[in-house]
Amino acid sequence: MDCDDCLEKLYAFLDQELGSSERKQVASHLEGCTDCGDNLAFEERFLKVIRDCGTSDVAPAELRRRVAERLRSDVPPTTA
Amino acid sequence: MAEDAFESEALSYIDALYRTALRMTRSEADAEDLVQETYIRALRFREQFTPGTNLKAWLFRILTNTFINAYRKRTRQPQTSELDDVDEFSLYRRMSQNTPGSNSSNPEQEFLDGIVSTEVKEALAVLPEKFRTTVLLDVEGFSYKEIAELVGVPIGTVMSRLHRGRKFLQQRLYDLARERGIAALRTSGPRPD
Repeated sequence: MDCDDCLEKLYAFLDQELGSSERKQVASHLEGCTDCGDNLAFEERFLKVIRDCGTSDVAPAELRRRVAERLRSDVPPTTA
Repeated sequence: MAEDAFESEALSYIDALYRTALRMTRSEADAEDLVQETYIRALRFREQFTPGTNLKAWLFRILTNTFINAYRKRTRQPQTSELDDVDEFSLYRRMSQNTPGSNSSNPEQEFLDGIVSTEVKEALAVLPEKFRTTVLLDVEGFSYKEIAELVGVPIGTVMSRLHRGRKFLQQRLYDLARERGIAALRTSGPRPD
């Protein structure tokens, strides 16, 4: 595997979406290639920033209250 | 699934549904309506949900379908351009090449440390529609296979959209960082006073 192959599979590697054979090939290349290793580390940190910031918003309290109330009121009576 | 377990698990996904709706509609009022409509439809069609399967994915399917059917046509689309070469953009490469002229020993880290939450949210909100949903579902932790099923495209298309979406985010955040003028990106020309 060369650097181009490695870069092509970088996101799938980070996302844990590669099969075991491809995963081993990428991992093996990364062990011996500092540049691809640094690139991987950067992309990994970048994705963490996106996920951390992207999941920080929460639903407004009033919306949560309204939805919770609707969910509670919709529970059908228990049947024997 | 017991009735109260369905209700409590469904409610546990409201934050994820709301922020995804917010980025799809770009309107707090529309996002609230979309989430409420999602739960109303989930309750109406709950018999179609198979207990023990993925409730989060089922709710997100309702959310995305409801958005497509009822909201997308009237949602303001962002002004985006220069998408043709976005998948070739590599922020890592760009910063590595710029390092010699910068006055930072670790420009990549300085860039990452300088990213603020509001900029990420802004960048997510202006993602081009053709890969926005895929990126938003990835941010919420869905696998390639789950996204493919939710969006109705092959896994290869998910990978391609995710790649382009992430490169778009990098380009956008890089541009915002340059506007902020972080030290690592001041690679040439006179330094500001």
